[in-house]
Amino acid sequence: MRASPVRRAIRGGLKRRWVPTLVIALVLLASTGASVLALGLIVDSSAPFDHAFAAQNGAHAEVIVNSALATPAELAATRKLLEVTATAGPFAEVAISPNQGGYPLGPMTIVGRASPGGPVDDLTLQSGHWATKPGQIVMASDPAPGESIMLPLGSRISVTGGPGSPQLTIVGFANSVTSTAAGWVVPSEIASLTAAGAPTSSQLLYRFASASTAAEVRADVAAVSAALPPGTVAGVQSYLTVKTQETGNVAPFVPFLVAFGLIGLVMSVLIVANVVSGAVVAGYRRIGILKSIGFTPGQVVAAYTGQVLVPAVAGCLGGVVLGNLLAIPLLIKTAQVLGSGRLIVPVSVDVAVPAAMLALVGIAAMAPAARAGRMGAVQAIAAGRAPNQGRGYAAHRFLAKLRLPRPVTVGLAAPFARPARTAGTLVAILLGATAVTFAVGLSTSLRLVVAGLSHDQTLPVQVSLANGNNIGPAGQRAIVAALRAQPGTQHLVAEADDQATMPGLSRQINVTAFGGNATWTGYDIVSGHWYTGPGQADVATGFLTATGTAVGDTVMIGLDGRQIPVRIVGEVFDSANRGIDMITSTQTVAAAGPSQTEPYQYDVGLRPGTSAATYAQALSSRLGASYSAQVNNRQSTVVNLMVAIIGMLTLMLAVVAGLGVLNTIVMHTRERVHDLGVFKAIGMTPPQMITMVICWVAATGLVAGLLAVPIGIGVHRYVLPVMASAADLALPASFLNVYGGLEMAGLALAGVVIAVVGALLPAGWAARIRTATALHAE
Amino acid sequence: MNVEITVPSDPLIRVSDVTKLYDGGGQPAVDAVSLAVGVGEAVAVMGPSGSGKSTLLNLIAGLDRPTSGIVTVAGQRIDKLSETGAARFRRQRIGMIFQFFNLLDDLTVADNVLLPAQLAGMPKARARARLTELLATLRIERHRDAYPGRLSGGERQRVAIARALVNSPALLLADEPTGALDTATGEEIGQLLLDLNAAGQTLVLVTHNQQLAVRYASRTVTLVDGRIASEVNSQVAGHAAALVQR
Repeated sequence: MRASPVRRAIRGGLKRRWVPTLVIALVLLASTGASVLALGLIVDSSAPFDHAFAAQNGAHAEVIVNSALATPAELAATRKLLEVTATAGPFAEVAISPNQGGYPLGPMTIVGRASPGGPVDDLTLQSGHWATKPGQIVMASDPAPGESIMLPLGSRISVTGGPGSPQLTIVGFANSVTSTAAGWVVPSEIASLTAAGAPTSSQLLYRFASASTAAEVRADVAAVSAALPPGTVAGVQSYLTVKTQETGNVAPFVPFLVAFGLIGLVMSVLIVANVVSGAVVAGYRRIGILKSIGFTPGQVVAAYTGQVLVPAVAGCLGGVVLGNLLAIPLLIKTAQVLGSGRLIVPVSVDVAVPAAMLALVGIAAMAPAARAGRMGAVQAIAAGRAPNQGRGYAAHRFLAKLRLPRPVTVGLAAPFARPARTAGTLVAILLGATAVTFAVGLSTSLRLVVAGLSHDQTLPVQVSLANGNNIGPAGQRAIVAALRAQPGTQHLVAEADDQATMPGLSRQINVTAFGGNATWTGYDIVSGHWYTGPGQADVATGFLTATGTAVGDTVMIGLDGRQIPVRIVGEVFDSANRGIDMITSTQTVAAAGPSQTEPYQYDVGLRPGTSAATYAQALSSRLGASYSAQVNNRQSTVVNLMVAIIGMLTLMLAVVAGLGVLNTIVMHTRERVHDLGVFKAIGMTPPQMITMVICWVAATGLVAGLLAVPIGIGVHRYVLPVMASAADLALPASFLNVYGGLEMAGLALAGVVIAVVGALLPAGWAARIRTATALHAE
Repeated sequence: MNVEITVPSDPLIRVSDVTKLYDGGGQPAVDAVSLAVGVGEAVAVMGPSGSGKSTLLNLIAGLDRPTSGIVTVAGQRIDKLSETGAARFRRQRIGMIFQFFNLLDDLTVADNVLLPAQLAGMPKARARARLTELLATLRIERHRDAYPGRLSGGERQRVAIARALVNSPALLLADEPTGALDTATGEEIGQLLLDLNAAGQTLVLVTHNQQLAVRYASRTVTLVDGRIASEVNSQVAGHAAALVQR
C-alpha cells in the first residue's frame, strides 16, 4: 500500500527532526503520567466511600441529642425542615466499656436499633443476624479506629457499669459507611447498659438536600439545632469528616500530585507550541517545496500537526502506563484503608487523561501549523533562504560594551533575537525550577512532619514494661531512679495512655497523660499553648474537627465510667488515633481512678551527643528483661512514599524542562548554523563556541530560576496546608517556613542548572559543526 | 602551457601531496596536490566548478583536514592541529574573505570587524585603534555603527576584508571575493586586494575570473578534478587565455 503524501511528509519530518520528536514524547509521558496518577487517586480514594454511601443512604450528619431536653415530637418535627430529605432515629445510644473474660476491650458507643434497614444509614449485615432480643449485639465490621474488636460470632462480652453487668453475645456483623456505632443492640437493651445517673443521649441521622460541602452540612445542622430546644444537640458528626478519615492516608497525595500534574500540563502545551513553531520557522523552505509540488494548505497543516501528534500519542500512551505503575503502591494502600479489595486506575481516567492531553497538544500545534498552511510557496522558499532578520540589535550593542568575553556577550544577546521563543523557553524552565523549589520545600516539610509525629528527635528512647504488668509505686520509683542514673539522660517523663469517650463522638479518644514536665517532648503547637495544670489538655486537629470544638472550649470526657471536664488550651500537631487525641497531665485523669495514672512507658530525652542506640542498649542491660528500652525511630511509610514520588516527579519535570531547553538550542543551532560557521572561520574555538551556545539560555535560566523561587514557595505554602487538611491535620507555621536564605539562593540557580544541562549536548554538537559545510548552509 | 615556477625557498604555505576524500568516498576533492606560496606572494587558484578550489582553500585555512598529506602555514603543521588549536591559529595568522561576505547580520560593522580581535584577546584600546585604521583604509568609517544589511555588496566586502585583517594575519585567503559583486565594485575590491598585496600581504585567491587572476595574482594554479593541471605565471596565463579567445 502506498503511503499518502501527508504520511510521507510526516515520516520525513519525524526522521529529520528526531530531537523535537523525542522531546514531545517525553514531555507528554511525564505530564500524562502525573495526571493519570493524580486523577486515578482522586477517583479511587473517593469512589468506594461514595458508592457505599449512596448504597446505604448514608447519613450526611449524625446528630447526638440529649434526650432529656427534647420531646419525641420536637425531634420528629425536624423531619419537616426544608433542608432535610430523610431521617432515621432517634436511636438511644450509650458508651460502654466491655471486657471479655476480664480483659478490657476499651470503650465503645452502642446504639439501640430494632432493624438494620431504614431510610438513612441502611446498614449492610455482613454475617450472622440482627439482634432480636436483649443479650444480643451486632458488632460493626468496619468500626471506627480504636474500636476494633477481633472477636468471632458467638463470643460473649461483659459490660461493667450498667445495672447487673449484662452479658452480650455477638450474633452478627454489620457495616455502617459513616461508622454510626461500634455495635447495635435491641432498643430495650440500652437501659440495661446505661450506668445510673449517666446522661441519656440518642442519635438522629439526617440526609439533606444540599450537603456536598462542609459549610452546607454545618448550615443544615444549624437549622436542625435551631429547631430544637437550646442545648439539645450534644454533638455532630459530618459524613465529610468520616470520609476524610477513611481516605486520610491517600488524600494528602492528591494536592501535590495535582500541582505536579498541572505544572506538567502547562509545560507540555508550552513546549509543544515552541517545538511546532520552531519546526515551522526552520521548515519554511521545506513548506515552500511541499507546496510547490502540490500540497494543499490543509495537507501542510496535517503534515505538521501529524509530526507532533505521532510522538504525542506515543508519549501519552507511555504516560498512561507510567501513571498506572506509579499508582499501584498507592492504590494498594487505598484499598487497605477502604477495605475495598483490589483497586486499579479507572478506565475512564486512562482514557480521559490522554484524550485531554492530545486535544491540548493538537490545539497548541494547530496555530503554527495553520500559519505554515497559509504561507505561499514562493514566500516560504524565500523566507527559508533569506538570512535571518535579526532582532535584538540593541542587546548586542549594549552587551558588546560589557567587560565580558565576547562569546559570552554574543550568546547573552541571542535570546533577544527571538523573544517569543525565549519567552516559551523561560516559562518551561520556570516551571521546571518551580517544581524543584516546590519539591525541596515539600520534602523538607514532610521530614518535619515525620519528626513532628514521631518525636524521634526530642524523645529518642522509650522504655516500656515488657509484659505490660503494673509495677506499682515502688517499681515506678525504681525505674525512674535507674533512668536518672543512666549517663546521657537529659529529660524523663512517665506516660500513661488510655481511651476515653465523649458524647456525640462515636470514636474513642486516645488520652495521653504525662506524669511530670513534658514540654520538651516535642509536640508542635498549632494554636493556643501547652497545658499548664490539671483540667487542661491539648488536642490534635482531628479532635477539634470531629467534635466541632475549638481551643478554649471545655469538654466532658468519659474515662472508666467517670465524666471528667477538660478545658482545651492548645491544638497540637499529632495524627495518633487519626487525630482523635488528647494530651494532658496525669493529674487531669487521676479523677477517674489510680489506674489511669499508671505509666505505660517512660519517654527519655538524651543529652546532646548521646547515641540513642548505645543508650538503649546500655539501659536494656541495666534494667533486665522486665523492661524494653527502644530507640524511637518510627518511620512513616506514607511519607516515605510521598518523598519518593515527589523526587521522581520533580526529576521528570526538571528533565522535561531540560529537554525543552535542548529543543530550543537545537532549533536555534539549525537556524544559525551559517553564523556558527562564520564564528568558527574567524577563529572561535570549540570551547568558546560551547560557552556562547550555553549563554544563549543561561541568562534565561537565571531569570526563570529567580522567578521560580517565590512561585515555588507560593505553591508550597498553598499545597502543603491543603495536603495537611486532607489528612485532618493543621500545620505549625514552622513547617511552612522551610526555605532558608542559602537554600533560596541555591534554588535560584536551579533554572541555570536546567538551562546549562539542557544546552550542553546541542552546544557540543554546535562546536563540532564542520565549518566548511556550515558556511555553505542556507 | 606550463612555465617553470620558482618555488619559494622559505614558503609561507606548503601543501605537500595533499588528498581530501569526503565521507561519501568516490573521487577525491583534492588529489595529491602539492603547492608552495612564498611570503608576500599573491596566488590565484582557478578551475571549473567542483575542481577542488574551495576544498584546497579550506585545507589551507585549517577549516578542514586532509585525508593524507601535509599542510604547513607559517611553519605550523595545521593538518595536525586540534579543532581548538586550528581556531587559535586561524584567528592569529589567517584572514578569510568569502564570496557572500559572511558577515553577522546582528552585529554592527564595528562589532563584526572587532570580533576576531576580541576572540584573540587583543587589548581593547589596541583593537579600537586597529578598527579605526582599517575602516579608514577601506573607506567605510562612516558605516562604523551600521548593520551589514544596510550596506551595498562592495561595502560589505570591505567590512569582511577589514574583519579578515584586524589581527594582522600573515595570510589572506579570498574565496571568490568578487563573485557576488557587479563589475565596477569587483574592480574596486580587486584593486584593494592588489594594494594589500603590494603592501606585503600574502594572498591566496580562489576565483573563476581569469582577468582577476591575471591582474591581481603573480601566479595562477589551475585545478581540474582535484589535481593541479597547471601552475603558471599569471601574465603568461593571461596571454594564453587571450590567444585562446582570439
